[in-house]
Amino acid sequence: MPTFDVQQFRQQFAFFQQQPEWVYLDNAATMHKPQAVIDAVTQFYQQYNSNVHRGAHQLSQRATTLFEQARSTVASYINAQHSHEVIFCSGATAALNQIAFGLMHTVLQPGDRILLTQLEHHANIVPWQLHCQRFGVIIDVVPLTPEHQLDMEAYQQLLQLKPKVVSFSHVSNVLGHIQPVADMVTLAKVAGAITVIDGAQGIVHQQPDMQQLDCDFYVFSGHKLYGPTGIGVLYGKTEQLARLTPIFAGGEMIDSVSFINTTFNKLPFRLEAGTPNIAGAIGLSAAIKWLQKYNNQQIVNHKSLLLKEFYNGLTAIKAIDILSSSVHNAGIVALNVDSEHPADVAELLNQQQIAVRSGQHCAMPLFSYLARPGAIRCSFAAYNTLDDVNRCLLALEQAVEILTA
Amino acid sequence: MTLEQLLADTKPALLDIQQRDLTEIEQAKDWQAKYRVLMQLGKKLPAIPEKMKQPELLVKGCESRAWLMHYHDKTTDKHYFVLDSEARIVKGLMAIMLCLVNGMTTAELCQFDLCHKFDQLNLKPYLSQSRGNGLTAMVNRIKHCCG
Ligand SMILES: Cc1ncc(COP(=O)(O)O)c(C=O)c1O
Repeated sequence: MPTFDVQQFRQQFAFFQQQPEWVYLDNAATMHKPQAVIDAVTQFYQQYNSNVHRGAHQLSQRATTLFEQARSTVASYINAQHSHEVIFCSGATAALNQIAFGLMHTVLQPGDRILLTQLEHHANIVPWQLHCQRFGVIIDVVPLTPEHQLDMEAYQQLLQLKPKVVSFSHVSNVLGHIQPVADMVTLAKVAGAITVIDGAQGIVHQQPDMQQLDCDFYVFSGHKLYGPTGIGVLYGKTEQLARLTPIFAGGEMIDSVSFINTTFNKLPFRLEAGTPNIAGAIGLSAAIKWLQKYNNQQIVNHKSLLLKEFYNGLTAIKAIDILSSSVHNAGIVALNVDSEHPADVAELLNQQQIAVRSGQHCAMPLFSYLARPGAIRCSFAAYNTLDDVNRCLLALEQAVEILTA
Repeated sequence: MTLEQLLADTKPALLDIQQRDLTEIEQAKDWQAKYRVLMQLGKKLPAIPEKMKQPELLVKGCESRAWLMHYHDKTTDKHYFVLDSEARIVKGLMAIMLCLVNGMTTAELCQFDLCHKFDQLNLKPYLSQSRGNGLTAMVNRIKHCCG
């Protein structure tokens, strides 16, 4: 196996040729798209554009085949047992909304409990809150340890309250910490809970194996896996998907409609009302096929190297407050410059064409726990280079110098 | 600390900014120099004490929190403001804006075009809607005061 050639990898992203002066470290927000994805989407619109599952004509049949092949590609990438266990939706947010809405009443009854964690993205908090309030379901929250890791002891104690659903992220979008998801699923199952994993940040770090992980649901967004925006995946085991009440109703998802009684279509269509994002699904499938040409372990190693260099460089800069641990980290580092507001640091980095995100990163409960007004977040992808790391470090040094002058 | 005191402290600070710093920003030889000045501006304005930062003073739409206090002198129809922000660059930019609007009459405020003034100072990029710094939100709040 040849070693990972970051330049060869990076060359496939037209963005970096268009914007050579930028260092892009906002990958946790969205990633750039390789030419293979852009081509697949363009090709679909130029050559195959038709609606799916409904046309009498050959064009529609071809579009349907491509769309369903995309589903199979995703299913085999995450090792789902069946293709129909992959539901296409607009992204992780939509998927979590569908799950939270869909489990109310069918699974969750008034007085039941669910379990979330302190470091969840708002997308894995607010949909639950919204529906739990309406249905009288109680939410418990797993706290963090002083090292900003999930407190596994507290997790086990909270499981004794017999939550019916446990929902947690694979990788924290702020800290980058990889959660012990396999153990968490095992423990939740012993407690009899349905398990939901928010894989928005995890999917790009590790190819998850649904049958091995054995979680009930796993969700992610295509745009954080080199794919287009507006497409995402709700994976669920067949028997669990069957328990979800559809959040959207309309065409495609029904079997027969009358004003007396409407019956629903089978999976996956029951949960995919309306015209799906056909080009998006095809683009996501192209991203996965393209990514599979590379060895994931080599990519992980490359990102570890970047992270190591970054941490080494950070320790040499004075007044840096690092919130993320360097171990079990998927490539995301949250930090602050002591007693400076993250918005100022981010603006000084922006001036130097270093793209990072600043603020609370849709994780306000985490920041109130951390007792910080926010943080800047540097998130690395496989196409980032050591040069990117060094430029970011230099820019941070410059920012610190200006701020503390 | 009272609103009167804050207003009284703001006035000479703005005068100083207007007389010295604005030209320095215009003539800054590089972005570093410009930002060094910008960050000093915020320091010149008085800070609104924590206990005076009532929720209704908070200006929403900012990545960092900012607060605005307003005083309308009914006899002269002039509007005076005190503002604060957690972020220094934002506070500096808001200080420049305040230099331009403080003491305007209702009619002047309604007509005021910040875009044009910021263009002159090469600061226009900071005004775009998509930027989270809240300057636009602050301008809207100020305009709201005259409506
Ligand atoms: C952990 C996590 N969950 C959910 C989401 C929501 O993803 P999307 O906005 O693509 O729906 C994100 C995106 O930032 C995330 O990082």
